[in-house]
Order: sequence, then C-alpha cells, then structure tokens
Amino acid sequence: MENEIIDPKLMEEFLSFTKNVTEAPNLVPVPDEITLESTPFDVVYEQDKMRLLHYRPLVEKQTKTPFLISYAIINRFHILDIQQKKSWVRKLIESGIDVYMIDWGTPSNIDKYLDFDDYVNLYMDNCVDFVRKEAQVDNISVQGYCTGGTIATIYSTLHPKKVRNLVVTAPVIDGWKDTTVVSNMAKHMKIDMLVDTIGNMPPEFMYYCFSILKPFEQGLEKYYKFFKNIHDKEFVDNFLRIEKWLSDTPPIPGELFRQWMRDIYQENLLIQNKMYVGGKQINLKNITMPIFVQVAVGDHLVSPECSMPIYYAVSSEDKTMRVYPIGHVGMIASSFSQKQILPELCQWIKERS
Amino acid sequence: MSQDVKLPLDYFKHTSLFWTDLLHLMSGKPIALTSVGPSRNWANDAKKVITELIDANDDLIDFNQRLIEYYKQLSETWIESQKKVNVKITTIPQDVESLEAYKRVWIDIFENDFTQLFDSEKFGENYGKLVSAELELSRHWESITNVILQSMKLPTRKEIDEVYKELHELRKRITKLEKNDEKINGK
Repeated sequence: MENEIIDPKLMEEFLSFTKNVTEAPNLVPVPDEITLESTPFDVVYEQDKMRLLHYRPLVEKQTKTPFLISYAIINRFHILDIQQKKSWVRKLIESGIDVYMIDWGTPSNIDKYLDFDDYVNLYMDNCVDFVRKEAQVDNISVQGYCTGGTIATIYSTLHPKKVRNLVVTAPVIDGWKDTTVVSNMAKHMKIDMLVDTIGNMPPEFMYYCFSILKPFEQGLEKYYKFFKNIHDKEFVDNFLRIEKWLSDTPPIPGELFRQWMRDIYQENLLIQNKMYVGGKQINLKNITMPIFVQVAVGDHLVSPECSMPIYYAVSSEDKTMRVYPIGHVGMIASSFSQKQILPELCQWIKERS
Repeated sequence: MSQDVKLPLDYFKHTSLFWTDLLHLMSGKPIALTSVGPSRNWANDAKKVITELIDANDDLIDFNQRLIEYYKQLSETWIESQKKVNVKITTIPQDVESLEAYKRVWIDIFENDFTQLFDSEKFGENYGKLVSAELELSRHWESITNVILQSMKLPTRKEIDEVYKELHELRKRITKLEKNDEKINGK
C-alpha cells in the first residue's frame, strides 16, 4: 500500500487552530463580565418595566428637536451602543443630536396582557410627552429599528402632531412580502393556541428562530473565525459583545406577540390600513411628517420587500429611502454604518430639526 | 393519527374509565364509613389525572410523528447537500491552500439548501403542527397541575391569569387617570 503523507501545512493549520482553542480561556474575558453600555446615560423616566434613557451630551447640541429611539422588542437596546467605534447612539450625540432611547425592559408573566395599545399609546406616548416637556418643544424626531420601527410607525399614525420627523430602520410593515424564513414559520403557527397556552413568548423560541436564519454561517463559521482570530483583541471584543447581546433576549408579552403575528404576518393588516390599535384604525396615510426609510439588501430578518412599502404608503411629501448593501445588524452596528449610513442620517435630521 | 392506532387507545381509555367510575360508585358507601373527610377528594382527583394522561397519550403519538418528520426533513436535506458538496469538491485542488475554498463550498451549499427547506411549505406546515402538538401536551400537563393545585387550595393558572388581567386593566386605568389629572391641574 502506498504511504499517504499528510500535508505539513495542513498539520500546521490544525495545530495552530487547536492551540488557539486551548489558549482561548486565558486570552478572552468571560462574556458575563463584559459591560455592553458604553455611552453614559441617565434613566429619566420609568413606567412598569420600561425605562427612558437620556444620553449625556458629548458635544454642544446642534439641534433643538430631541431624537427618540424606539428599540425593537426582540433582543435589547445595547446593539445601538455596542462599542464606541460602532455606536449608533454615540455617533448621533457626537453630531450634536440630543438622544433618548426606550428600553422596553424584560416582561414577566404579569405583563402577558400588554399589547400594541400599551406599547404605543401608553409607554411610547408617555416617553414622547416626557421628552417634549423636558425639551419644551411641541414635537420630536422619532426613530424605530426593526419591530421598534413598526411601533414608531403606528405611533406616528396615531399621534402625528407629536412627531416632527420619522426615521424607520428595517421596519416590519408588509408581512406578506417578507421573504425570510421567520415569515414562513409565522404563517403556519396556531398563534391563539400558542399564546393561550404559554403566555409570553419565551426567549428560547426566539433563539430557535435565529438559529434557522443562517445555521451554518452563524452556527459554525462564526465560531471558527472566533478561534482563528483569538489573538486579535478588537475582533474578540467585538465578537463577544455581539454574542452577549444575541443571548440576551427578553420574552415578548403574549398579547403583543399575538397581535404582531396575526395582524402583521398572517393577515397583513398594517399595510392595508385595516389594523386596529386601542380601538383606533391605523391609517398610514396619517403620516405626513418627513420620513426617512432605511433598508438593508442583505437583511435576513426583515427582508427589504417587507420594509419598503411604507415609503409608498405614507402621505409625506418629504420622504427619503436608502437601500444599503449590508445586513440587518450591520446596518446599525458596523464600520459601514459609521462611514455611510449615520453621516447621511445625521445630515437629514439636522436639516429638519 | 391513523384509525388503527386510535381505536385501541379509545378502547383502553373507555375501559379504564368505566372500571374507575364503577369501582368508585360500588365502593363509595362502604369506604365513606372509613374516610375522614377531605382526603376522599383524592379519588376524584386521581380520575382527572388518569383521564388527562390517557388523552395526553394521543397527543404524544402525534407529537412523535411530527418530530420524526422534522428530523427526517433535516437529515434528507443534509444528505442531499453533502452529495452536492462531494460532486463540487472534485474540482477543488486537494491541498492546504484550498481548505478555505472547500469550507466555503460546504457552507454555501448547506446554507442554501437548508434555507430553502426552512422556507418551504412542507417545513412550515410540519413545524406548525409539531409546535401545536407540543402545546397540546403542555395543556395536559397544565390540567394535571391544576388538579394538584386545587387539591392543595392553591390558585390555578386560570385564576392567576384573571388577577394579571385585572392588574393590567388597573395599571392602564391609573395611568389614564394620572394623565387626565395632569391635564386638568396643568402639572
């Protein structure tokens, strides 16, 4: 039998990778010890488990109109301030914008009856009123990211006079046009049975949904790269921060989840102006303020086709839409967003504030 | 569930409940002589628990069928993807420099095939039914737990839910009243 010799380079590669895996615990911090909040803020208002954060200014304010961010109901707000070099919030503050952010908190069983009406007409409206009062202005700029974009959109239809500018970043709007696997699962779910039986949507279910989005890229390749780059401090720090953020998903209140799945993904009522929140019909035509729609081509959580219809559905005369060659998270926490997306957004806000 | 499996289960359920009920009725009066009160409820509770367990059996079969289908879909896709990789890698040189290229091919093919699966009607349908079957099992477990909670004079989930709902309404009402108060008093 012919002797097969293993390529020495292959052996070297294998040994180097094994060495990295062995050394990893000595080189990287425990994820639990990493603090995700990098820009200082004050909690200025609280209601139940919701908190309103006000970021401390880093430069002199250049706009009179405050900017309120409605973060998504999946995962937590830290991704918008994940690290200094990639912080969405910090960039806005450094541009002289007065930034507030809603942290929806971590709902428990007692919060299972919270629905769209509570999130829009209670929590968000109280935050907006608080900010208006603090800044002594009639209306403010509002940004919503992902599912937070949907909440911000609905809020703007119901309280248009309080919103001066609306920015929606990858919002969930047209459920039937969504081409992601999340939408496929949502369509086949017996949503009433699910919510009636388990109440709040548990994080474990969310993790399952994430796991089927890009199972091999995210489940294998990502960790391979982590160990391969274990000596690169910046890479490791960024990796652990994102991992920690991904693993911190609060439950979604049952009633909110029910309405979300049924009205947006299954019956697609929002884009048809047939959805009801707090007994009032949501009409996207009520949005007349300037609107900036941000969409990512590589978004595998909220497909561009799902977000873009809002641009055409509103009555605003001053409307802008940008489609960026990046993914769902990259749009808000990447070098690309710092160089391309945020400068454009800051300029847009300043011109209208 | 197919009829040939369901029938013996129904027969088993009917027979066991028949004897449980009959024995309960037959032995009720003489046993009452020796019983000392509330503990006699255990007989009724035991019957409820048994009924739930028998019903759960039906749903467990359905759950297992869905679960088998779920893993079947995953494994079939895996095998097909691996076949495609095997064909493709013959075009890649077998040296260390091509290791990255091989990995890329493997990930791209698997990612593409599995995304197609997760996006398909057959996967969505089976997964929806799998979750529903799991929820049915949870409901049986909840019913059994409720029997135990009631026997211990503790509130059931339904009763706790009523409290949560009431609290939710109250919180809403208070916030609205506070807002109205602010408007009236101009705070």
